[in-house]
Order: sequence, then structure tokens, then C-alpha cells
Amino acid sequence: MSLQGALRRSFLLLQEQQGVWGSILQECDSLAESLGNLGEQMGGLARVRLSDTPLRVFPDLQERLRFQLVQEADLLLQRLRGRMSDLQSVRDSISNQASAVLLLYEDAADTLDLAALSRRSSVVPSAADMLEWLQDAERYYRQQFLQRKILLQTLRLEDLSQVEGFPQRWKTLESPDSEQRITDTLCRLSFFMESQ
Amino acid sequence: MPPLRLLSVDPSDRGSQRCRLGPGLMSTLGLRLGSPLLVSLPGGSCLCTAWPRPDLAEGFIQMDLKCFSPGLTSGLPAHLTLDPVQLSPLPCSKLKRVKVTVIVQSHDFKKHTHSSLLHEFVKDMLRGVYVHREYVVNMEDFNTDIRYVRIVWVGPDPAAAAGVITSKTALEIIEVQTVQHYKSLLLKEVAPPLGGLEEVTASLREMLQLPLFYPSTLTSLGVSCPRGVLLVGPPGVGKTLLVRRVVMEVGASLVVVRGPEVVGSRPGESEETLRAVFENARSAAEEGPCVLFLDELDSLFPRRSGSSSAENRLVAQLLTLMDGMSRSDRFLIIGATNRPDSLDPALRRPGRFDREVIIGAPTLLQRKAILTVLCERMPVCPTVNMAELAQITTGYVGADLSALCREAAMHALRENIKGSGQQLVEMKHFQEGLKAVGPSCLRGSLGRTDLSPVLWEQIGGLEEVKTKLRQSIEWPMRHPEAFVRLGLRRPRGVLLYGPPGCAKTTLVKAAATSSHCAFLSVSGADLYSPYVGDSEKALAQLFQQARACAPCLLFLDEIDTLIGSRSDGGAPNSVQTRLLSVLLNEMDGIGLKTVERRGTERILQAEGVEQSHTDEELECQEVCNKDVMVVAATNRPSSLDSALLRPGRLDHVIYVPPPDLQARLAILKVCTKSMPVDSDVRLEELAASTELYSGADLENLCKEAALLALLEENMEASSIRHTHFLQSISKMSPSLTAQQISAYLLSPQ
Amino acid sequence: MTSSNTKFSAVTGSSRKVADNAADWHNLMVRWDKLNGRGFQLATNIVNMRRSQTDRRPPDDVPSASTSQSFLPVVQQHTAAAADLQEECSKLQAVVDQMVVVVEKMERLTAVQKGLQDLEEFQFGPEGRASPLCHSWRTREFVDSAQVLLAAFSQELKLKQVVLQELAHTASADLQLVYLSCWLHQPYIPPQSRLTLEALLLETGHRPL
Repeated sequence: MSLQGALRRSFLLLQEQQGVWGSILQECDSLAESLGNLGEQMGGLARVRLSDTPLRVFPDLQERLRFQLVQEADLLLQRLRGRMSDLQSVRDSISNQASAVLLLYEDAADTLDLAALSRRSSVVPSAADMLEWLQDAERYYRQQFLQRKILLQTLRLEDLSQVEGFPQRWKTLESPDSEQRITDTLCRLSFFMESQ
Repeated sequence: MPPLRLLSVDPSDRGSQRCRLGPGLMSTLGLRLGSPLLVSLPGGSCLCTAWPRPDLAEGFIQMDLKCFSPGLTSGLPAHLTLDPVQLSPLPCSKLKRVKVTVIVQSHDFKKHTHSSLLHEFVKDMLRGVYVHREYVVNMEDFNTDIRYVRIVWVGPDPAAAAGVITSKTALEIIEVQTVQHYKSLLLKEVAPPLGGLEEVTASLREMLQLPLFYPSTLTSLGVSCPRGVLLVGPPGVGKTLLVRRVVMEVGASLVVVRGPEVVGSRPGESEETLRAVFENARSAAEEGPCVLFLDELDSLFPRRSGSSSAENRLVAQLLTLMDGMSRSDRFLIIGATNRPDSLDPALRRPGRFDREVIIGAPTLLQRKAILTVLCERMPVCPTVNMAELAQITTGYVGADLSALCREAAMHALRENIKGSGQQLVEMKHFQEGLKAVGPSCLRGSLGRTDLSPVLWEQIGGLEEVKTKLRQSIEWPMRHPEAFVRLGLRRPRGVLLYGPPGCAKTTLVKAAATSSHCAFLSVSGADLYSPYVGDSEKALAQLFQQARACAPCLLFLDEIDTLIGSRSDGGAPNSVQTRLLSVLLNEMDGIGLKTVERRGTERILQAEGVEQSHTDEELECQEVCNKDVMVVAATNRPSSLDSALLRPGRLDHVIYVPPPDLQARLAILKVCTKSMPVDSDVRLEELAASTELYSGADLENLCKEAALLALLEENMEASSIRHTHFLQSISKMSPSLTAQQISAYLLSPQ
Repeated sequence: MTSSNTKFSAVTGSSRKVADNAADWHNLMVRWDKLNGRGFQLATNIVNMRRSQTDRRPPDDVPSASTSQSFLPVVQQHTAAAADLQEECSKLQAVVDQMVVVVEKMERLTAVQKGLQDLEEFQFGPEGRASPLCHSWRTREFVDSAQVLLAAFSQELKLKQVVLQELAHTASADLQLVYLSCWLHQPYIPPQSRLTLEALLLETGHRPL
């Protein structure tokens, strides 16, 4: 059954891309951490009145340091955006796969009986279940990607509290439950994926 | 097919647009996996994709509300059962073009997000979603600032209202709104009812609409738009409701500030909050007209005192903010207060609160309108006459009337529970309610008296006096049109004088009972105060309250003790003389304070618009009975100041004479009505032998006779005999003397 | 350096001197960066020590019955921590001293460059020599870039010295953060100074065109 084959391929791809996604995110996490750190430094600089400190002998220090920090932050943002395009390619490959499988189903839908589609065995879940899971995974990655992208694109370096809180907000986007659900799905499908 | 029970959506399905059904039902409906499906629900419908339930059970339905008609924005009701016919498959093609409105959470996001970026985001979010024209797509599952997308138009096929968005669909964003604005637009349809404030509403609406919608017209006229409106009125007249209503009608967004929310404990915190509120209003005004509503203004911005208190700084902050509003800030500030005098005067000059709108206690017609609106949604018995109800609710404000209706409905409900069956609110329920709900204008007033109703019939004799009193009190209320026709002005005040015990007070009570108006009564003790100026203030306040719930009868009993005469050589600056001057002023002063204005000035017109007769009559009553009728009683008319007795003040002076033979007979008849009097009692004889007895004496006489009967025949006495009366007469002496009476006969003027 | 040496083996006189100077600039800046990195490590340590000290302070401000017995160890612990702090500070002092040496060398380089210019003016008059020393720069421009670099580094050194003096004595977290970020981001050595160096290296042929 070609639908079965397509599903198998899709889940294999999903398994592979899940790992890629995770490793990219790890890189992003450290970048986000650095960005937050820079934000803290900027915040500290904005809160301290240098004219009241021993640094008052350097009148242009505040401006220069701020410039340096913003430049560093800009660099980090660029690198983060670069990672985002990697994430996007992961998302796109999963999306394309999912829509291809759904298209395949729709083409063959007239010949497929709903009862047969929703029949499951102890080792192989039903085709309906698998389609559903594939859709869920696709939606998860799309959602994740979009959330992170919006967060990144709407970040303004002038808004110090935003920059300082960036790592936290980046962290809160993580959804271990959904990630776990995909892992679980893949586990349930391991037998199916191995059978050729 | 069996009905379907609606269950709440599975968390893992959130955002998936799935509708979970049993596979059997899916086959029956001819649905494939993921086929689009339109579900009609009470309040709207929802577009989903069909998927079998994981447990394959039939008889249940779960829906993820992703794309739905605006009516379902507030969510699905719990415990709903659906009939399978409410589900219909909807063929969806791939859309080529779609036009949308994006609804975002915050102004900040709207301001700082570039349109191309937003376009990118929304396009990504909408991919793979089945949409329907005029429906709303919920984006909350993405957990971003983009909350909803409203589908305005789908293409290319004009016949197809729904379709699926693919990566090739061209997206056009027409507008970006904030959630706040969007919700306020949605709420527009369910505006609260408002009765009797049409004129104020119209003027307020105009004030809102002109500067907000036609700013260019105003600038071309070289006029600066008004920025602030101050609503003044007693509590409960509906100031807050009015603002909400008008704002809703105009379609503006509303930023409400309540006092306690602004005030913070840290120094400078309150000012900061106030600034934030203005900033909020300013950003809300960027996408449409906006009103900043400061409720209970007096509590926030009281008159500045000498010491540097926190309030002073807050007032200063408000002044600065109001002056800092530039012409481009398209928002209006409305303040509401019931104590305009305690506001800082600097707030009430043009440029800040330019306009002041005064809402008084509702007049007769306004009360009728309010009652009509309130009773619209109540099952009111058709026999209930709103005009009559409006007449007996003098001094009630909108809030009182609403409480009254609630109370009446509660009474009807209680009765219904007892089992009378009919679920209608009748007049008797309103009457019951009236007992529980008092007019708030009179609440805490010092002259408020619980009046036990006295009928004219309960007063024996004095026919002439009764007629005179009716002329001056009852007629103007009952037949105003006759007064208008003859060009008559109703008297301002009535003075009853006569020897003590001749039913002066009882007469006033009867007059108040028959005229259905508010009744306030004060005596000297009420007004007495050891503090200088306190008594005068109390009297002035009394008049103010009386005017607020006009038509009103103000009864000053024993006026001679209250108010002295300027001529009788007392200290020129005594409390009495000062009270006298207050009284003279209140009765015949230059005019009312502006704050006390009620309704709009209305003049009777001969060529009226077609109105029903009763309406006309009500209007007549309203126009003619705006004043307070003062009724004073005294038994020492000679000690009154002559200024009080000239026309325009207490212009009707009625002598209540001691009862003559006929009157005494009538009084005795009234007094013995409830007594078992023996047949041998000859009341005519008794009346003849009680010369110089006052009404009170006669009543006492009857009481004495009854007691005597009890005394003589122990407790078994069944009737009072003539001898008892005669015995009592011999024991008593009349309280009046001929000399006294002749003194009254000299006219006091 | 070997490659440049072979390349410039034929070149003598002022051109040789200019090329050697450029290479020295490069080496000094690499050295500075190394020192800066070490110094930042030390500075971070100092700040962390200070923070843990202030964190520990409150309980022994109010010694209760139970803590009074362990009072002595706490004091010892304190003196130990203070000694550690002192040690880190002297290490940082050493780093700054080395930085001073670097800047002194930079000063000497600039002086040499100036000397070359003076020599040229003496030889060829105020217009300078007709053909450029290396590719296109006039001698004056070498001096200018050297002076720009020197100004940047000596200013940065002053900043570092202030930071060294104050770092261990400040209690405000924000200010500590500012000191650290001053040290790390070197506000007086903007990216332009790196560009200046690169230009110098390009001109003298250390970097291929």
C-alpha cells in the first residue's frame, strides 16, 4: 500500500529532522543566553550614572560602551537569524512531507474505506492515526518556528527589558510536552518504521 | 440518528481545527479524513475538519474553534447537544486570494511591527486553514501577539464562501486592529437600555461625534475641539451608564479609570499610573475615536488644600496632562461627579473640562420613560399603568427605579413560588416594592417622615378649610391644564394658622396623602444645632433635596418657633433671623443653582406634536409642578415676620377656626365611629354643650368617656352611654378661650 | 613573520623599517588581546568573589547563640576569602602592568614612525619623497595611523587602570557589570582601530592585496 510507504518515509524523515531541530535549538539557546547577557550589561550601563563613579574621567565612555554593546548584540542577532533559516528548512521539509502524504491520501480517498483506515493492530497503528500524528507534528514545528521567529523579529535592541528578558522568553517557547509527544509517537511507530 | 453530546476539546487538538466525530457518522455524512465541515451552533457556526475520534466512539462531538462566525467569539456554551443535521459537509477549494483584518493584542506590537513582517507571519499562520468569508480565525494557539484574523473576502470564486489557504494564496491585510478595539466593536450590538435621557444623550453624542469624526470641519472653522466634558448629577441618575451607552453608539473605544485603581501608596505612583492611563488612551485613539472616562472625579481630584498632600500633586498632574493634549490627540475626556463643588476649580475652566452636562433627578416624564425601558424585558401585567407608577415615584432616580422593578419582580416570584401560577408582575407588586425602596434623593434627609396616610374623610368638619387646601395643593397637581388655561400660578406656600389642637397638622397630612408627592416635614428641633451656621445650612440643604424630588410638600410645623420676626426686637443676628433669611431666599430667590437643573427647560406649546392625551397631561403636570410647596403651620401668627406673608412666599393664609357646632358634631361622629356607642347618646346635644372645645379636646372627650365606661362596668363594658359623655364633660374644661379666639380673628397681615 | 621576512628581504632602509613596524603593531595587538582575555577572566573572578562575600555577610552581622560558636571559623573563612581576593587582584595588577609595557612599546613604535617622517623631510624637503614607500601611502599616513592606534590603546589602558583600582571596592552590582563590560568590550578600541591595523598590514604587504 503506497500510503503506508509514504507514511513510513515521512516518519523516518520526522525522526531525522527532530534531531536536527534539537541540535540547532541548542546552538540558539547559547546565542540567546549571550544576548540576554549583553542586555544585562546594557541595562547596568543605563542604570549607572557614570558621572557619580570613578569612571567620570572618561566623559564619552557611556556612549562608546553602548555602541560596542549594541554592535555585539547586532552580531548575535544576525547569527540567531542565520540559525532561524536552518530551522525553517527543517520545518519546510516536514511540512512538505506532510502535505505530500495528505495529497496522496486525498487522491486515493475514493478507493479507501474509512473503516479500513481506522483499523489498528497491536503493532501497527491505523492509517488515520498516523495521518493525524503527522499533521500534529507538522503543526508543532510550524507553531514553534513561527513563535520563535516573531519573538526574534519583533525584538528591538532599544527596549532593554525586552533584550534582558530575551533568554527567558526564548526558553518559555519550549514545549517539552509536545516534543515528548512526538518522541512518544515515534516510539510507538518504531516497529512500523523498521518493517519494510 | 442519535443526538451528539458536545465535549470540550482535547488539549492536543488545540489549534488543529479538527472536529472529532464517530467514524460511523463520518461515513454517513460522506466525510473523509480531514474533510471540511460546517457545524451550526446556537449563536453562530464553525468551520472544522472531520476526524474520527481516537476511541472511535459514536454519539460525541469535540470541536476546536479555529474558524467561526463572530457570534462565537466568547466561546461555546457548556452542556450542549447537537443534532447530526447541524453538521454539513462544505466543499472547499484552494483559495487564490484572501483579504483579512488582523487583530493583535497590543498597540506596541501594532506600532513596531512592519507590515511586510506582519504579512509574512499571518501568511504562515493561515497556511492550511479552512476559512469562511466573514468568519474569524482564532490564532491564540500560536501564543503570539496576533490573536485573531478576520476573513473579509475570499476569492476568486465569488459564489464559494469558504476555501482552504495554501502557500500559493495571495494574502492582503486590509487593517490591523487591537483586541480591545475589536471587542468594543463586537459589543456594540448589545448596548444597555437607557430611558429618559434622550436629550442629554443627543448632546453628548454630538459633542463626541463632532471632534472625533469631523475634526477637519472644526479646524476649518477655526474652532478648537472641546476636550473634556464634565457630567454632574446626583448618584444613581445613570452618568456612568450614559457614557458607556453613548460611547458604544458612537463606536468609540472606552478607557475607564476608577479612583482606587489610580491611587497608589508610593509617592509618585499615582501620577505615574495616571500618565500611563493617558498614554493608553492616546494609543487607543490612534485607531479610532476614544473616550477616557474618569468616574467619581471628586474623589480623585478634590479641591487643592494648602498643605502639599498627594491629591495636590495628582490634580496638578491631571491639569498638566489635559493641557498637554495636543490637537492631534483624538480623544475626549469625560469626568463624572456628584459633588461638583468639591472639585478643584482649575479643572472646570475651558480647555480642560470645557462643557458641563447636568443630569438632574428624573422628572415625571423621564421616570415614565425609564420605567418603560426597565419593564420592557419583564412580564408586566398590561393593567400596570406606567404613568401612574411614574407619578407615585417622585424623587426616585434611575437606580432606584431599577431597584424597584427588581423588588417588584421578586415579589411576583415569591408569590409564584407559593403557587398562584401566573408569572406576571402586577401593580400590587410594585406597591410592595415601593415600601422597600425609598427614593435616594431623600435618603438621609432630615425631614424624611414615615407618613401614615390620612384621608380627608378622617377629619371632621372644616369643610371650607379643606376646600381651600385642596385648591392650593391638590388641584395644581391633579388638574394642571385648568390652571394653565386660566393663567393661574399655583401658590408657593400656604400658612395654616389657628388655635392649637384644631387639626392643622392632620390637615397637612391629608393633603400630602391625596396629592401623591414627596413629603418632608421639619420642626424646630430638627434644625437646632449648637454650631453657628449649621441650622441655616441644614435648612438650605432641605430645600435642595426637596427641589431634587419635586413635586414636593415641605411642611414646617410650628414655624413661629423656627423662625422669628425681625421686628419684634430680638437680637438682630439670632439664629432665627438668619433662618428666616434663608427661608425667604429659598422660597423666592433669584433662581436655582445650575447643579440642580433637572431635565431640560420645557415650555408648554399650543401647537404640540401629536401626542396622546395622557402624555400631554403628564407633560402639563411636569411643567407646572417643578416647585416645592411650602406649608407652614403656627398658632401664633402674630409673631411671624411680615415679609414671610407677602405674595410669592406664604401667599395663601388659611385660618383653621375652632370647630363650630356643625363641625363639632362631625368631629364627634368621626371620633365615635369605631366606638360602640349606646343608642341613647345624643351627639347633637354633646356638640352643643362643648363650646370652645378644640378637635383634640373632643377626641380626648370620647376617649375619657370610653375609659369611664370601662371603669364603671369593669372590663365587660360593651357600650358607652350618654351619661359617660356627660360625666367626662363635667370633668374637662375646654382648652380654648373666647379671648384667644378673638385674637386670631384679627387678621395676621 | 618568516614569510614577510623572506618577502621583504630585498627591501632596505625606510621601507624595511615601516614594514617591520607594521608587523610589530600586529604582534602587540595580538598580545594585548591575549592579556585582555586573561584579565577578563581575573576580573570576573574578582566580581564573583565580591558577590559571594556580600552574600555571606548578613548572617554574621547578627551573630546568634548558635553561630557565635562558629564565629572563629567564619572569620578565618573571611580572611581566607580576602586573601584569595587579594591574590586575584595582584594577578590582575600583573596583567595591567604587562599592558603598560605593551603600550610603552607602541609609543616607541610611534616615535620611530615619526622619526622616519622627520628623516624624509630632511632628505626630500617638506613635500616628501616622490615615490611611495610601499604601495600608495605617504609617510605621513603611516604616522597618522600609528598615532590613532596609540591614542586608542593608551586611553583604553587608562580605563583598565581605573577598573583595576575600583573593581574590588565596588558593591553595586550594576557598576560591577559596567566595569566588566568595559573590560570585555574595550570601548576605546572600536572596530575602526582593527580596520586601521588591517589597512596598515595591507599597505605594507603583510596581507595579500
